[in-house]
Amino acid sequence: MASALLRTCWCVFLSLLGALPLQARAQFAAEPPSTIWLRALLDVRLAGGGPAPSWTEHGPGKLRYGGSDASGGFQSSEHFGLSRAALQVGAALPWDIRGQVQLDVQPDVADAYHPWLTEAILRKEWGEGAGGWGVQAGIMHVPFSLENVGPAWSPEYSISSSLLNSWIWEDILLSGAEGEWWHTTQSGLRLGALIGGGYGTDQIGRLLALRGWVMGDTIGGINGSLALPGSGARTDIFNERDHRPALYSWLSVGDEAEVAAVRLGAIDNQGDEGRPGVWHTRFATVGLVVHPVPRVDLIAQYLNGVARVHAPPNDSSFSASYALLSYHIRQHRLSVRYDSFRVHDLDGGPISTSEQGHAVTTAYLLQLGLRHRIALEHTWMTSHRVATGPINPTPDGWQVSYRFRY
Amino acid sequence: MVRRLPLLLAALCVAATHAGTPTVSGTVVTMDGAAVADAVVFVQVSAAAADTARREQIVDQINKTFVPGLLPIVVGTSVRFPNHDQIHHHVYSFSPAKTFELPLYKGEDAPAVLFDKVGVVKIGCNIHDWMSGIILVLPTPHFAVTDSAGHFVLEDMPGGSYTLVAWHALSKLRPEDTAQSVQLDGQVRDVNFRLPLAPARPRPAMHGSRVEP
Repeated sequence: MASALLRTCWCVFLSLLGALPLQARAQFAAEPPSTIWLRALLDVRLAGGGPAPSWTEHGPGKLRYGGSDASGGFQSSEHFGLSRAALQVGAALPWDIRGQVQLDVQPDVADAYHPWLTEAILRKEWGEGAGGWGVQAGIMHVPFSLENVGPAWSPEYSISSSLLNSWIWEDILLSGAEGEWWHTTQSGLRLGALIGGGYGTDQIGRLLALRGWVMGDTIGGINGSLALPGSGARTDIFNERDHRPALYSWLSVGDEAEVAAVRLGAIDNQGDEGRPGVWHTRFATVGLVVHPVPRVDLIAQYLNGVARVHAPPNDSSFSASYALLSYHIRQHRLSVRYDSFRVHDLDGGPISTSEQGHAVTTAYLLQLGLRHRIALEHTWMTSHRVATGPINPTPDGWQVSYRFRY
Repeated sequence: MVRRLPLLLAALCVAATHAGTPTVSGTVVTMDGAAVADAVVFVQVSAAAADTARREQIVDQINKTFVPGLLPIVVGTSVRFPNHDQIHHHVYSFSPAKTFELPLYKGEDAPAVLFDKVGVVKIGCNIHDWMSGIILVLPTPHFAVTDSAGHFVLEDMPGGSYTLVAWHALSKLRPEDTAQSVQLDGQVRDVNFRLPLAPARPRPAMHGSRVEP
């Protein structure tokens, strides 16, 4: 017994002796930054909605989680499960080039656990935050969203994006390149200009015409597809048929203190309407970001465009807007957003694409330390889509989200 | 004239005090002789003898960058981390010398952090992975940071014998391995350091519209 105690003490002493020089060395040691880094995000959701099944299940529901199609008709239901798992890998490459790849698993949206490649870019910048320019190439989304600036491009202010940004993030993914310039004038004006082009957007707008606007937090992938209503058919997110590049631009003007900024964006996919399955879609968007007083964010954005296809007759004009007011203090954030949306059938086909509606979303987000976030969200929505009859498919829906971030 | 005499005497005393303040200057270079910026030269003292007088410093966040990126402080200093960007930052450190986090905030909301242990504290932002900085907590108020030419000046050091060491974030040497003794007796001393630096590739930043709401 005594010898065992002595042996233990001797071991502890030797360990301490060995640890001392290590500690001394470590005191002023600054480990060099790793050239490869990993970030991950896991979002588990409890949600209820309905009565109509969600658009993710080919239903007319406007929210990500809807009701179920029982024998007696639609009825509200609850869902629990993984809503998103994202993995981001970054690398500091030679010549100060940043490489970034993101994979996302969204089981209900993808109808499978297949990971989608949602981003793969190389980016090089010259200059600094106050002024500089940069180029970026690869697989990427267009930079028009004012809400999705959170981890792994998640919405910052709520669980779901506005309908406007839900569509931008689910449907518009391209493979291309862009150049950007930003500058702060001596009078304190911040200016930014970005132009880019890429391929893979030949069917953007198809979802708006055939399905309409929906609300969610989906991020589209180059190898992904999204559900179309009714038939069980899906549409590819990345689709290139006419080999004409989409062109887009994004301009911003704001003050140096970033109290207010105006953003203007436009895209034209230059789709060849003469080719089967190619949609010619273009739209413009204008956004306003204001921080009138500390802890308050006010964001408004409007989008208007048109999508045309040779056949069938589904030409549509579309518009959406939202205004978001968000208050935050420490780890708490409370947001309220009003959405309005519309699709107008332009050529009077047998199945009208017209719809209109509006929604009010309230969200409370609680950040717990570096890794955890709990969020609650309620959406009230009223909408009418000619093709699905007079029902209001999504009177309301609620979500409780737990998010872990590494 | 008589009435001004005390003022003149006081001025002479002050001048005499400053004239007698020894100063150390020098350079820090790599093994190839290239200038090393952002190296910190400081007086080596034991942590037990550390000057723990309360002080306050600031690391600002501007354009998604910590300003300054390197802040040497004496142990016992409190540092505030104001965020002058309009986006949130989430400042944190996992360093043994100080583990802390300041959850999502903007403006002046975050409380000051007391650095009460000598060592290297690496700070980062949980949102913007390229934001990184170092707070070097030293046991002495006598330190200087090299400029872009690798030059440093240590001022207002009382006379006596000192051991000076040099630190750099990429140095392959421990500070004590660079130690040089210097005797200050009223004259300016020149002390030079050579540091072998490890190659580094910092995470490239992302500015521009994609990361701004």
